[in-house]
Amino acid sequence: MTDLLTIPFLITCAKFLLAFVPLCYLPLLITGERRGASFIQDRLGPNRAAIPLFGGLRLFGLVHNASDGVKLFFKESFVPAHAHKGWYLFAPMIPMIVAFLTPAVIPWFAPMLVEGPQGWVRITGQNLDANSGVLVLFALSGLSVYGTVLGAWASNSKYALLGGMRASAMMISYEVCMGLSAAGMFLLAGTFSLTGIVEWQSMHAWGIVVQPVGFVLFLTSLFAETGRAPFDVAEGDSEIVAGYFVEYSAVRFALYYMGEYAHIAIASALVSVLFLGGYHLPFLGTEVMRSHLGPVLAGFFVVCALGLGVLAWRIRRWVGIYKKMNASDAVDRVKEYGFMSACCVALVALLAVGAIASFLFLDSRPLAIVDGIAHWPLWTNGIVAILQIGIMLVKTAMICWVFLWVRWTLPRFRYDQIMSLGWKIMLNIALVNLVITALVAKLVMGGR
Amino acid sequence: MARIVPRPEMNLVEKAYIPEILRGMKVTWGHFIKGLTQPETLPVEYYPEVKWEIDRDYRARHRLMKRSDGEPRCVACFMCSTACPSRCIHIEATESVDPLVEKKPAKFEIDLLECVFCGLCVEACPVDAIRMDTTNVTLAADARSKFVLDKAALLDWDPADYPETDAQSQKAPGGILNEEARSQWAKGGNA
Repeated sequence: MTDLLTIPFLITCAKFLLAFVPLCYLPLLITGERRGASFIQDRLGPNRAAIPLFGGLRLFGLVHNASDGVKLFFKESFVPAHAHKGWYLFAPMIPMIVAFLTPAVIPWFAPMLVEGPQGWVRITGQNLDANSGVLVLFALSGLSVYGTVLGAWASNSKYALLGGMRASAMMISYEVCMGLSAAGMFLLAGTFSLTGIVEWQSMHAWGIVVQPVGFVLFLTSLFAETGRAPFDVAEGDSEIVAGYFVEYSAVRFALYYMGEYAHIAIASALVSVLFLGGYHLPFLGTEVMRSHLGPVLAGFFVVCALGLGVLAWRIRRWVGIYKKMNASDAVDRVKEYGFMSACCVALVALLAVGAIASFLFLDSRPLAIVDGIAHWPLWTNGIVAILQIGIMLVKTAMICWVFLWVRWTLPRFRYDQIMSLGWKIMLNIALVNLVITALVAKLVMGGR
Repeated sequence: MARIVPRPEMNLVEKAYIPEILRGMKVTWGHFIKGLTQPETLPVEYYPEVKWEIDRDYRARHRLMKRSDGEPRCVACFMCSTACPSRCIHIEATESVDPLVEKKPAKFEIDLLECVFCGLCVEACPVDAIRMDTTNVTLAADARSKFVLDKAALLDWDPADYPETDAQSQKAPGGILNEEARSQWAKGGNA
C-alpha cells in the first residue's frame, strides 16, 4: 500500500483531472458564442439571468449556462414513438464519451522527472504517453461522428437522416485532408507523440512558422470535422430544421450540444499543440522556466495583474455610464460591478505582492545533474507544470475564439461547394504541401 | 426576353478566398471590439430597466374620461362598439341621473385580446369619452380573463399623469378641463 501511494503515482492520478478540461470550456464557449455573436451583430446578448444574491449577480451572462443546464436536465426525456429506442438513447452518449477520452493524449505540460521509491520517474503531461498519440486522437475524434450518424438513423426521421448522411460524408472527405495536413508536422518532428512534437517545436520553431499552409488546411478541416460554420450543413437549420438532433430534446439534446462544444475545445487544444507550440512560449522553454522560476513566475503574475487591472478599469468606466442612464436597477448593478472591480483590485494587489515575493525570494536549483539532464525538485516541476497548463488553456481558448469568430463571419457553404472544396482543392494542396515538406526535410535536415 | 445580369468576374485574390475571409473577419472583429469595449455605443435599449418615451398620440391601452363627479363621460351610445372592427367593446346601458343626458353605461368592457388598437372607437365617440393615450403598451397578465378591462379598470387613472396641454378635445357634455379635473381629484372626488 505504501508502495502505491508514491508521489509519481499520485501525480499520475491527478492527471486524470485533465479529462474534465474540455467540459470546463463549455460554459466559456457557450457564453462566448452567445455574447461574442451579439457583439459582432451590434447587440448586447443574454446577460439577465442572475444568481439571486446581493441584488442579483449576473457575472457577465455566465449564469445563463446554469439556467440552461437546469432547464435541460429537468425537461422530460422524450422518445418519439417512431424512433429506434435503444440506439436513440445510446447515440448522444458517444460525443460525450469521446470528449472525455481525447484529452488523455494531449500534453498539457512538459515531461518532468519525479523521484519515486524506485528512482527517478519520467512523467509526461498526458495520461496516455504512447508513440501513436496523435493517431489515437484522430481515431477517437473520428468516432464522434458515429454518435451523429447513429442518432440520425435511430431518430427515424427524414431530416435527421439527411443531416447524418451529410455529417458522415463530410467527415470522410475532411478526415483525409486533416491527416495529410498534419502529416507535415509529423514528418518534421519525426514522431507521432504529441509531447515529442511540442518538444521539437520548442527546439526549432512553431508549427505555424514551418507549416503555414498545413496550419490553414488543418484548421479548415477541423471546422468541417467539428461541424462548425461554414461547414455546418449537418445541422443546416434553413434546409433540414436542425439536422441530426432534430428529434432530440432535453438532456439528450444537451449531450449533443455539449459534445459539439467539447469537440471544439479538444480540436483547439490539438491545433495549439501541433502548430502553436503547445505549452511552450518563445524564449520560455521548460528548462529556462525551471532555472529562472522566480522572475518567470513574477512575469506571469504581472501579466495576470495587468489583465485584471484592465478589467477593473473597464468595469468602473461602465458603472459611470450606467449611473447616467437612470435605470431602475442602477443600485443593484452598481453594487455588483463595484463588488467585481473590488475583487479585481484585491487580486491585483495579491498578484503584485506575489510577483515581488517570487522575484526576490524564489530560487530553484537542480537537485542533481545526471548525463547533462537536470533533476529538479518537485515544487519547481509543479509550479512550471501549472504555468504550462495555464499557457495551454489560454492558447486553446484563443483558437476556440477563432472557431466562434469564423462562425459569425462566414455564411454556410452549399453542400456541393463543401465537397468540391474538400476533394478538389484542399486535398490537392495538402498533398503538394506534404511532398514539398518531405523534400525539404530530406534535403535540409538530411532525413532521419 | 430574359435580361442577362452580368456577374462580376472575381480576380485572383478573390478566387483564393482566404484573403476575402480575412477581410470579413476584420469587419466582424471591429464590431466585436466595439461592442466589448464600448457597449454604450450599441443601438440597443436596456429594457425594462430603461424605458423609452412613448408619444401621447401613440394608440396605447384605453381609458375612459370622467365627469367632475367621477362618473364616466360615456353616454352609452354604442358608437364605439359599432365602429369597432374586432367587436371587443361590450356596453350595457342604464338610465342616467343627469337630466341632460339620456343614458350611461352600466357595464363597459374592452377585451384587449380581441382589440386591434386601430383607434376607431376614439374617432367614433361623439362625447370624447374614450381615449387611447395612456402610453401603456406593455400589456401582460397571467390569465386571459385579466385582459378584459371593466369599467373600473378603464376609469382607474390619475390626472397627474397627463399633461396640461392635452392634445385631444375637451368639449363634451359635462366635460371639464384637465386642470379642473385635477382640483376635483385633489378634493377627494375620485370615484
